[in-house]
Amino acid sequence: MTGKRILQLVMAFFVVVWAFGAAHGASEIRIGVIGPTTGWATIFGQDVLDGVKLALSQKDYKFKETPIKIFTEDTKADVEVMRTKLDSLKNRDKVHLIIGPSLGHEGMAAVDWAARNPEVPILVGYSAPEDMTMRKATYSLVRPGWTGAQVIFNFGKFCAKDLGYKKIIIVGQDYAYPWDQAAGFIRGFLENGGEKVERIWHPVEAVDLSSIMAKLAGMAKEYDAVLCNSGGAQVVAFFKQWQQFGLDKLYPQILGQANVPITPMLAEMGDTLLGVYSSLHYYDGNPSPANVKFRESYNKAYGHYPSVMSLQGYDAVNVAFKAMEAIDGKVDDPKAFIAAIRNVKMTADESPRGPFSFDKYGNPVQNVYIKKVVKQDGRLMNIAVKTYKDVSQFGPYADMPEKYMAAPATTRDYPPGDKASYFKEIEKYFGKDYVEKLEKNKGWTD
Amino acid sequence: MFITASGLTLSFSLMRVVNLTHGAFYMAGGFIGLSVLKFSGSWLLAVLAGGVATSALAFIEERFLLRRARGNDLIETLISLSVAIIVGDLVLVIWGGYPRTISIPEALNGAVSIPLLDTIYPVYRIFTVGLALVIIGALWVFLKKTRLGVTIRAGVDNFEMVSALGINVRRLFSFVFTLSGFLAGVSGVVGGTFLMLVVGEDWRILTLTLIVIIIGGMGSLGGTIVGSLITGLIHSFSTAFIPQFSLFVLFLPVAVILSIRPRGLFGKER
Amino acid sequence: MTKERGYRFRRALLGALACGIIIAIPWISSKYFMMMSIRVMYFGMLTMSVTYLAGELGAVSLMQAAFFGISGYSVALLQSRYGFPFPIPPLAGLVIAVLAAGLFGLLVAKVRGIYFLMLTLVLGQLVWALANQWSAVTKGDTGITNIYAPTFFGISTETSKTAFYFFQLVFFCGAASFLAALKRSPFGLMLRGVRDSESRMAMLGFRVNLLRYAAFVFASLVAALGGVFFTYFTGLINPHSVALPANVEALLAAILGGINSLLGAVVGTVILKTLDVVLSGITDRYMLIMGVLFMLVIMFARQGIVGTLMKYWNNRLFLSRNRDPERRPSGFSKKPEVFRNP
Repeated sequence: MTGKRILQLVMAFFVVVWAFGAAHGASEIRIGVIGPTTGWATIFGQDVLDGVKLALSQKDYKFKETPIKIFTEDTKADVEVMRTKLDSLKNRDKVHLIIGPSLGHEGMAAVDWAARNPEVPILVGYSAPEDMTMRKATYSLVRPGWTGAQVIFNFGKFCAKDLGYKKIIIVGQDYAYPWDQAAGFIRGFLENGGEKVERIWHPVEAVDLSSIMAKLAGMAKEYDAVLCNSGGAQVVAFFKQWQQFGLDKLYPQILGQANVPITPMLAEMGDTLLGVYSSLHYYDGNPSPANVKFRESYNKAYGHYPSVMSLQGYDAVNVAFKAMEAIDGKVDDPKAFIAAIRNVKMTADESPRGPFSFDKYGNPVQNVYIKKVVKQDGRLMNIAVKTYKDVSQFGPYADMPEKYMAAPATTRDYPPGDKASYFKEIEKYFGKDYVEKLEKNKGWTD
Repeated sequence: MFITASGLTLSFSLMRVVNLTHGAFYMAGGFIGLSVLKFSGSWLLAVLAGGVATSALAFIEERFLLRRARGNDLIETLISLSVAIIVGDLVLVIWGGYPRTISIPEALNGAVSIPLLDTIYPVYRIFTVGLALVIIGALWVFLKKTRLGVTIRAGVDNFEMVSALGINVRRLFSFVFTLSGFLAGVSGVVGGTFLMLVVGEDWRILTLTLIVIIIGGMGSLGGTIVGSLITGLIHSFSTAFIPQFSLFVLFLPVAVILSIRPRGLFGKER
Repeated sequence: MTKERGYRFRRALLGALACGIIIAIPWISSKYFMMMSIRVMYFGMLTMSVTYLAGELGAVSLMQAAFFGISGYSVALLQSRYGFPFPIPPLAGLVIAVLAAGLFGLLVAKVRGIYFLMLTLVLGQLVWALANQWSAVTKGDTGITNIYAPTFFGISTETSKTAFYFFQLVFFCGAASFLAALKRSPFGLMLRGVRDSESRMAMLGFRVNLLRYAAFVFASLVAALGGVFFTYFTGLINPHSVALPANVEALLAAILGGINSLLGAVVGTVILKTLDVVLSGITDRYMLIMGVLFMLVIMFARQGIVGTLMKYWNNRLFLSRNRDPERRPSGFSKKPEVFRNP
């Protein structure tokens, strides 16, 4: 017994661990998928994963003749766990590509990791903070997704020009992603005829919005509409209490941010969502063959219709495949792989969302759709009432990205919501000629 | 809010155990109610079912788990913590991670304007307040007038005497615990209709309930009422006016009270 | 006499072996394993903080992660936002965390038993609320990224994980020795006296509240140290590190390993963090398993793994003079407090 035994045990332990850490087999392509698959953010991680799996199964889990192996890791919506899992995907599993993550704060940490680990390409899943492909952009991280502001600039314009609203209230969860959405909306709204946007923030997890509802009731005389800038449980809470307090009689239909009328919400909330306008780079009612194929095969595989998160996973795999075709499957050369990814251009037939390609920062230039929730074929879905083509993450400032990035990052109060201060800000950062152009054209030229 | 708190205060005061599973019961009760509603279409049945189911869980927890550690409050609390974790995960398994909602029964839907206050107020909320008052009344009567109630109060005040008197303390504990579980489940369904059912709600509710009890005082029903009022007001106001610090503002008085006057505003001297 | 020397010899041999292995880790094991060891170290310090308070004082604290986070955020802010050069951010972080502990300690020292647990839960939540909502400073939910580990004498602990490993190892051992020394000192004796019978200690003239206060502050210092390394290694910090689950996990690890020994803290952390990574590859039901494990340990093996193992090994391995460890009192098997006043 005693010392000798212990020594033996310890050695055995190390041998096992050592073996575990040993390199993997040669010819296969290894893809890591990372996201929150347990806990409160499960749908954001699980749906992306389901999209990935669907795409891979359509390709039989192989590229040409090389088998593809996926490694899934759960971040538990915790950034430290994610860091650890990223490290293990890189060091233990030696993956050639990582798809993910899904949440905002995860995304910011991921780009940080990518900067320190440039040998592993990352295709971002659902994470939308703009700085991942703006101020903090790094070569190895490419996002076949969207930024919060990108999909909502034109919505602001739509509300000002097409719906004729002048003053709007935005109620949202107090963290970075809704701030981004509010900021994008404000830019679109105020630069195209709107006069004022009032922002009301509430704690991320708050479900009792009664004091806010009361406030909204009081503001009804002055303001034209309300935009719900939250996701998940808070959306359900908002709509419910909206009705409870009788606000549906005081205001027209609710406007929604990107996460409001997503497919799981449509399933849960049903007809209360009818008529809600929102905007995104994808709409589930898109009759294009690529989308129909996507939706129907997803439904067949999983028993429910896909959400935009599933789309991200699906598209990420397809982008990766196109890139691999360009380099003939030689994924062991990360530089070439990443370069190929950045060169990918998807057509309307290849992606359920429409055509897109990447700008020099790694974010797509794509269509943005203004959508509305309607009932078709007995089902609730979003249809597009207007389409804007080739929208970049910089929106209307696409020809002056440096100026955009030099302006302060969005916070809960920036950019300012009233026209006068707002115009002062854009004059400061985008120049007088920009302002003059706006005034001449009464807004953006389409 | 009150309903949940009263359950917790009961179990605490008698058995000196802070039942950390309470939050999980709230959530579980809510989800069970949701399923029952889908099944039967009757909201009332859902409420009762939620309550009964959680009281059953509470009973099991008490009988098999907590009993083993009787007498050592710390251990009991930790056990209840572990059960909370387990129940929380089970709920996730059975009902999935999406937030769900229970629809308000037709009779209670809509809003009425209260002429005196010149505001519109949802009927359902008035109903909840009413329900809370009914429960308060029932508990009060129960504790002050019935024999069992008196025994419980005696137990709160002087634990060892009661057992010395030969009263079957074990059964008493079981009963109290089960009752508090029932209250948790009921409040879960009622609350779930009013707000919603979310995974993770169990910890939030637990924290809020603890705050209510700490402010109001353990073992005192009146204190719980006051506590829930104060907590509710602070929460609403801070959410509306200083959302940046709303949680902080909520926790601060608690911390202060716990350290200066651990009994709470109305707690009994122990 | 020879038996005595026999014990000491075996103990020393084991100790030397363990040291040797620990120092050799960067070279004999995979990168992955080393990363896990680093994680175990910084979380281990947090766990040790909980273990110390629970074992020595009989006080279960659910807010140690708050100090972990306070020092972490301080480092993050001072370094990445204000650009202070190396030793300032971590030193300042420790000071700030200790000051915070001093402040909270005032509230906490007077409170006992269950109330202590509840108060620390609430205070921990308070710190979390602040981290989450004071977005102007803490950047709220997103947290602060962009933090780089320091460079010593030209060797960057950022790029060289081996360097980081040793950097942390030094402080980790320092922290462990600090706590161990406290345990062996007269202070430790007094503290355990308070744990076992406070009224008696008070009667003997000891300043009980002062002892509790000091213990609390010492423990938080260790937690804060862990926070510094966490922030440096992961390069970020966010409110999740101070949230309730973080605190509960620390407690879980402490209990799993055994609250009466610092080794227990480390073992508990190893188990927790390894299971974390391994289990989540196999099943999603991580929390369920942890909950059940927690319950089993609390109910049947209150001494935790190290505690229970020690009972058997001490007898077999002749490592200690005390053949009967039952003599050692522990924080969890006190007599019921039925007749106590809070």
